[in-house]
Amino acid sequence: MKHDSLGTGLLWIGPWLLGFGIFTVLPVSLAIYYGFTDYTLLESPIPVGTQNYERMLNDEILGTVLWNTAIFGVLSIVFGSILSIALAALLSKPARFQSFWRAAVFAPSVLPLVAIAVIFKLGYDPDPEVGLANQMIDWFTFGAFQGPNWFGSGFWAMTALLLMSLWSVGPAVVIYLAGLRDVPKQLHEAASIDGVGPVGRFFHVVLPMISPVILFNVIIGVINAAQVFAVPLIMTGGGPERSTYFHSMYVYDQAFKFGDMGYASALGVLQFAIILTLTGLILLAGRKLVYYRGA
Amino acid sequence: MTIDAKTITRRTALGLLAAGAGGYAAFGPERRRLQSGGRVVLDYWEKWTGHEAAAMKVVVDRFNESQGRIFVNYLTMGGIDQKAKVAIAAGDPPDVLGLWNRNLPFFSQCGAIMPLDQLKDYGITEASYAKAVGPLVFRGGRQLAAPSTPSSIALYYNRKIFEEVGLDPDSPPRTIEEFDVAIDRLTILDPDGNVERAGFLPTDPGWWSWCWGGFFGGHLYDEKTGLATVDSPQNIAGYDWYQSFPKRWGLDKLRRFQGAPIDNPSPYRNFFSGRLATTIQGPWLPMFMDQELGPGNFDYGACPFPVPAALADQPPYGPIEADILVVPAGAKNPDASMEFIAFTQRPENMETLCTGHAKPSPLSNSSESFVRNHPNRAVAVHEEILQSPNAYTTPWITGWAEFGMALGAGLDQIWNLKSPSAAAPLAEVQLEASEILQREADRRHRRGQPDPWEKA
Repeated sequence: MKHDSLGTGLLWIGPWLLGFGIFTVLPVSLAIYYGFTDYTLLESPIPVGTQNYERMLNDEILGTVLWNTAIFGVLSIVFGSILSIALAALLSKPARFQSFWRAAVFAPSVLPLVAIAVIFKLGYDPDPEVGLANQMIDWFTFGAFQGPNWFGSGFWAMTALLLMSLWSVGPAVVIYLAGLRDVPKQLHEAASIDGVGPVGRFFHVVLPMISPVILFNVIIGVINAAQVFAVPLIMTGGGPERSTYFHSMYVYDQAFKFGDMGYASALGVLQFAIILTLTGLILLAGRKLVYYRGA
Repeated sequence: MTIDAKTITRRTALGLLAAGAGGYAAFGPERRRLQSGGRVVLDYWEKWTGHEAAAMKVVVDRFNESQGRIFVNYLTMGGIDQKAKVAIAAGDPPDVLGLWNRNLPFFSQCGAIMPLDQLKDYGITEASYAKAVGPLVFRGGRQLAAPSTPSSIALYYNRKIFEEVGLDPDSPPRTIEEFDVAIDRLTILDPDGNVERAGFLPTDPGWWSWCWGGFFGGHLYDEKTGLATVDSPQNIAGYDWYQSFPKRWGLDKLRRFQGAPIDNPSPYRNFFSGRLATTIQGPWLPMFMDQELGPGNFDYGACPFPVPAALADQPPYGPIEADILVVPAGAKNPDASMEFIAFTQRPENMETLCTGHAKPSPLSNSSESFVRNHPNRAVAVHEEILQSPNAYTTPWITGWAEFGMALGAGLDQIWNLKSPSAAAPLAEVQLEASEILQREADRRHRRGQPDPWEKA
């Protein structure tokens, strides 16, 4: 017995389509609509035109959270990329217990973020007898330098969050590892014959060859950084002086703490637009900077 | 393209889907209903855990045993105010909801709760409550909520340390001026200026960031005009005093002092360990003393928090808060909900609950046995504050969460000495608060709701 392909296909993807419609298309559509309303969640929404978007223009806190998110995003992506490429390069070399080292780099990524944040919070305690970070600074400098009060100033609080973001580079390392495996040996050999050293080979052979992987990881990094939420919420609560208050935290606070679902929806739409624009710009830049083999 | 039906037929696929749906319906997360014996079942959501949840459980069990028509299904959970908003918006609220008094302006303004007018039939009026408690739950002559447990905040001190430094533990400081002198005597600094023992620290535990101007007679909001008054001279004086601590001992020294949890995550650890001689705290403190240090092992005293000398002869000043019970709009059995809430307000039940929480009673009078058997021997201090016209709480505004967050950011600036005085940061908060209040007013006007200060 044969079935027509359209009907059967729809049947098979039906459950997914249903879920996608209910849990993605509908909420996104409603969020766009609520962005043009005054909506407290407990009262019916009243259309207010573009008021929520106009409010953004004079919202100093929004400026602060966008700036914080941008700083965090740029620095976490730059440092995260450097670290994960370096780790991947190291892990790609034959070594004893290679599988163990690879698992060790990936393992932190499977731990719940909330649990890690709680542990890191304790690790950043300013007292070197309690906080591991300051204990290490004390140990490495033979007591010559006192570790900072990590959550006492905006600079150190942001630094603490950035350092913690490096904890979960495991997935990126795995992707870079796969990319490094795909670099043809012949290119290495050809470059070596031409007298190019290991550093030169890395910059002129390896990096161009893994540039599509870098592009992918940067896009994922932008999306993750734009949505950073749980870790700063637990570690700093956005402080001190809103120095670690990020866009997603502001959206959440507006929606559920301040009861302004309309403005929160507009902020969510803004977040979506920013991610979309950045992704588009990165892809555009990728056309010039990324080398696709076989393209 | 065609698909070979030998692998799996459409009928089989549909059957599998139907079986999945049936299984979900049969064994999925069905609303949990206890054996109610045909009685009306009330879902009561509460935010407490541990001994506080257990104390209310006693009252709930007592209610369930006292009659055969209504059964209260008691559920405790975290993040209750946010979950309640979603449940009410979705049209499936609980029958009784335990919130905080600071939630009441928002929930009532949005029409998300029912007024408890029927409680009058049970003999409950504003006069049934302590003087400062009534205004927390009554508005425009209508009862919007019923207090479950209230708290007032006072100064607790370590009597042993007082004696050590030659201070009279039976005569604690009444004025800020006396308190400043006492703090200096109680404080121990090492030769490098590190704080070994602090006489007092406003940021330990730092739970009532909105309270400091109030001790100096300030208010954050004027109900008569609907305007923010964050940068009033009284508030500036209060927050200047707050800032005097990092100025006195150095910010880095205080960070180091407060950062060390000495292997104990308890928020009371510095006071209990003797590193902090006095602390601002609620009435529950002695209960945690007994739990963490063993019964009777800590000699404490309590008094209303000191105020400037000019205010010292007035009734005590102090921040107050209350846990409250409300009936959400859309509750299915409002009459039964009222009956249960009225039951909790009976003196014997209220005293059971408040004893379990180690808090004062919200009622206008409490029994002699309540005071005598209370786990806090200084409960009378807290009751005195609850009866005082100078007790104060968070402003009755729907935007308090946002206002409070703005104040918190301003306090960070004040504490971190970003400004030589509290005046400039408070002026910034004032601007932000005014914008929040203006947005509130715009929203009310858009919805045709009256301004609350017109009622006042």
